[in-house]
Amino acid sequence: MMGKNRPGLFFSSVSSGKRSLVEIIIIAVLCILLSFYMGKHRVADFMIFCITVLSYDLIYGFMGHLTIGHMLYFGTGTYTAALFMKWVTPNPILGIVAGIVAGALLALIVGKLVIRTKGATFALVNMAFNYVGFFLVAYAWGNVTGGEDGMPSFTGPLGSFYLHRHPYWFFFVLFCLLLSFYLLKHFSASPFGIMVRSIRYSERRVRFLGYNSHYYKLVTFIIASSFAAFAGTLTAINYGYIAPDYISPLRNAEIIFANLIGGIGNIYGALIGGMVYMIIRDFLSIYVERWELVLGVVLVVTALRFRTGITGYIQKYL
Amino acid sequence: MFGLTIGAILYLVSIGFAITFGTMKVINFAHGSIYALAVYFFMTSLPYVKNNFVVSLLIGIALVIPLSYLIEKYIIRYLYGESVHYAIIATYGVLFSTTDTIKWIWGTNPWPIIVPTRASIQLFDVTVPLYRIIIIGAAVAIFIALHLFFKKTIAGKVIVAALDDSVGVRCLGIDQFKYFSLVFVIGSALAGVGGILYSPIAAAEPYMGFRFVLLAFAVTLVGGMGNLTGAFISAFSLGMLIAMTARVLPRLSEMMVFVVMAVVLLLRKEEYE
Repeated sequence: MMGKNRPGLFFSSVSSGKRSLVEIIIIAVLCILLSFYMGKHRVADFMIFCITVLSYDLIYGFMGHLTIGHMLYFGTGTYTAALFMKWVTPNPILGIVAGIVAGALLALIVGKLVIRTKGATFALVNMAFNYVGFFLVAYAWGNVTGGEDGMPSFTGPLGSFYLHRHPYWFFFVLFCLLLSFYLLKHFSASPFGIMVRSIRYSERRVRFLGYNSHYYKLVTFIIASSFAAFAGTLTAINYGYIAPDYISPLRNAEIIFANLIGGIGNIYGALIGGMVYMIIRDFLSIYVERWELVLGVVLVVTALRFRTGITGYIQKYL
Repeated sequence: MFGLTIGAILYLVSIGFAITFGTMKVINFAHGSIYALAVYFFMTSLPYVKNNFVVSLLIGIALVIPLSYLIEKYIIRYLYGESVHYAIIATYGVLFSTTDTIKWIWGTNPWPIIVPTRASIQLFDVTVPLYRIIIIGAAVAIFIALHLFFKKTIAGKVIVAALDDSVGVRCLGIDQFKYFSLVFVIGSALAGVGGILYSPIAAAEPYMGFRFVLLAFAVTLVGGMGNLTGAFISAFSLGMLIAMTARVLPRLSEMMVFVVMAVVLLLRKEEYE
């Protein structure tokens, strides 16, 4: 079963830029086709979620560290971008950059503290930090962030060009998704990425070989968090309204679920999982009011019986 | 005094969590759902038994025990010895579904619960509500009872041995899983007791399960993994901390617990699994 289709080999042949280009074109065409069927607004939403899942896959899938605190960085990106565009300049590009920088800085500080832990402790310490962030945003800094009610986020034009209006916005998000995909793919195929993947299999051996595994883990953590913050900033512009929901630790379940359903440790899995999850949620919420209940049950079943995800099944039968 | 009350509740809630975590390395988020469900069962049964607090408490616990047994049998048992990630994901799924079920059946609004006794006692020169003394007394009694349980009974001794060295116990040919289900159910019931006793002080709301699992985790971590007396001490000290912060910054009192947890993690240089 493993032999030919080991997840490691799935990536190691990525050296030609040609193959990446073909893949990027396929993803772009699929997203555009989907937008005709489901509408640009929704597919833009899906693509932003896919960026979040991609970034999460870097920590969970590649590094093998489960975290339940990823929404902290997503929310940091959202709030920083919204506040930056409100106070400093309404320029969306600068807002996005500010959000990413804030997410990366926060990840640097928090990462220094949490990176020494692993396993369950890592997951829960991150969740605790996420709660701290949520409390700060929703209650402590309520007069700045709008508290539990949230606040509108205003996006200005770039010169005379309205980036945040469809169809420009759709193509911009598509570009962001492809860029994230491309960057993360090259990251995972680079020597650094291979080191990160070996940490997943045996951190002790990596240390034994003389590498400072904490450094690799910290850098990966920061990169993944920056991408999450990136997705967060896009969300702030996408909805024009932000709420503490975007920093709520409860929403991590969605990301974990999307990642599991697609298949962990696999960039394609993260993409497929993100899309499939959003489509399921979209249809499920029409027919079933209590979709969170269904999500919880499916999460249990997935963790017990269906661990390889969609890409795992594809690899098995290919 | 408020701090001691919170500490007592924290101890009751975290002891079951600490045992499952310490022995089988399973992070049991479903603990939070048991906690929340016990409170809601208790609340619902109150009007049917003429607002008799003790009877409702027993009903709440009685309803929660089979549930926790089912969770142990059909979900947790498959996760023993597996990667800790799947345990977190699966039990998180349980907590997610129960929270939504609670929202479905009982709605999202917080439910206030009447304090069973308004009497208070004059202790030295402070007036203390009797109810809080009962809570603290219950926690201390349960601590002593558990201590005896772990010292005197076979099941308790097996658990203590397994906390120390799980593989060693298995090598002796002891079917520790049988004892684990027992202790799991006891721990869940205690979480239920803690939740119900705390409910008149705070209101019942669907997301309290999430909050208390995290607090239980912090207590376990600060007290030292698999250290049951440590859990007792850390529960009370964290409870005092919450109460003291609540005077200055009411909204952020629970946040302080996580700050302390981070400091403890930093001070202990060794790595955690």
